[in-house]
Amino acid sequence: MTRPVAIISLFVALIGCLAAETPAGIPRTTDGKPNFTGIYEWPKSAGDKCDCSATIFDKKSIGQLKPGGEPFFEKPTGDPRHDEPRDFCMPAGFPSGMLAAYAIQIFQSKEYFVLIHEFQRMSRIVPLDGRKHREELEPSFYGDPVGHWEGDTLVIETTNFKRWSLDDHFYMNPNESRMHSDALRTIEHIRWKDAKTLSYLLTIDDPKIFSAPWSQEFTMKARPDWDSTGLMEYECQENNRCPAGHCQGH
Amino acid sequence: MRTICPLAFIAAALMAAPLAQAHHSFAAEFDINKPVKVTGVVTKLEWQNPHIWYYVDVKNDDGSVTNWAFSGSSPIQLMRRGIRKNVLEPGMIITVEGSRAKDGSNNAGGSKVTFQDGRSVFTTVADDPNEKKN
Repeated sequence: MTRPVAIISLFVALIGCLAAETPAGIPRTTDGKPNFTGIYEWPKSAGDKCDCSATIFDKKSIGQLKPGGEPFFEKPTGDPRHDEPRDFCMPAGFPSGMLAAYAIQIFQSKEYFVLIHEFQRMSRIVPLDGRKHREELEPSFYGDPVGHWEGDTLVIETTNFKRWSLDDHFYMNPNESRMHSDALRTIEHIRWKDAKTLSYLLTIDDPKIFSAPWSQEFTMKARPDWDSTGLMEYECQENNRCPAGHCQGH
Repeated sequence: MRTICPLAFIAAALMAAPLAQAHHSFAAEFDINKPVKVTGVVTKLEWQNPHIWYYVDVKNDDGSVTNWAFSGSSPIQLMRRGIRKNVLEPGMIITVEGSRAKDGSNNAGGSKVTFQDGRSVFTTVADDPNEKKN
């Protein structure tokens, strides 16, 4: 059963009005678009001062579960490759990996918007040329993104995900994971909040699990001081010695 | 003119989210209920991803020596916290507090390192339950 179009339309309209204002003095490209090229901290929640290593969604922002929908919370199965896949260097996926506490470097051109995350060297190459999602691809951990400009806001819509952990909630509560389904669609609204900070509004639209799309706004602080090192190497298999608590090599 | 958006109020009302440890959860590899505190000599440092490992020779009561291995955060995260490779060098005498590996081996999640001069440093991130207790 599809959700009422009116609800989705209202939601998109509300999201749009959040992105209405542009601060003065932001960097722009030669064609006048806001220029996001640079190095940033990972998305953080409002007021977050923790020197921790990933952000997770605030439970207050998570939408209402759809009656009879796919389970959002999933208990451990006892198979560590399922319950803690990153302990075996499996991919974080999107959006979970985007929220890991590592640097993010953005490269921007007229045709592409590229985000490279230091954690797992996650790379997302977002075409901006108006193309549609590719239909021939198998579902993936990071999905298929396409982007476009809405005024001074860059909008990225991503589809075609594998079912996977939505975020790192299970780190704080080992008794449950928060999952997204293979119907997940994410919408990112990226804009300058002030001259040193990006607003990163992430919308989760997962009609198999939630009654309606929901959003959380994060901020990403520009870190030009990290230019001196750039993104550092992250090779998960280099010395992953204790997968599932079974230690090797000692 | 400033636009008033209902969602802006919702966003402003959001509390700071609880945060988690990178790469894997602490509980995936270590048992918080098996605390470890040893003093010994650093024998080796592996400053590698996804976690650093450092090794400490610890003298037992019977005179034998056990080589313990302690896991820390990633080199990247430690560097961005201002902790560099030279924080742990072979020959240093340190006290390490952490949690033993779930398999009961002489591997552990190393949380707090205290040097002979009393200085201390956490080699993990702030969501390590051992660090939270301090």
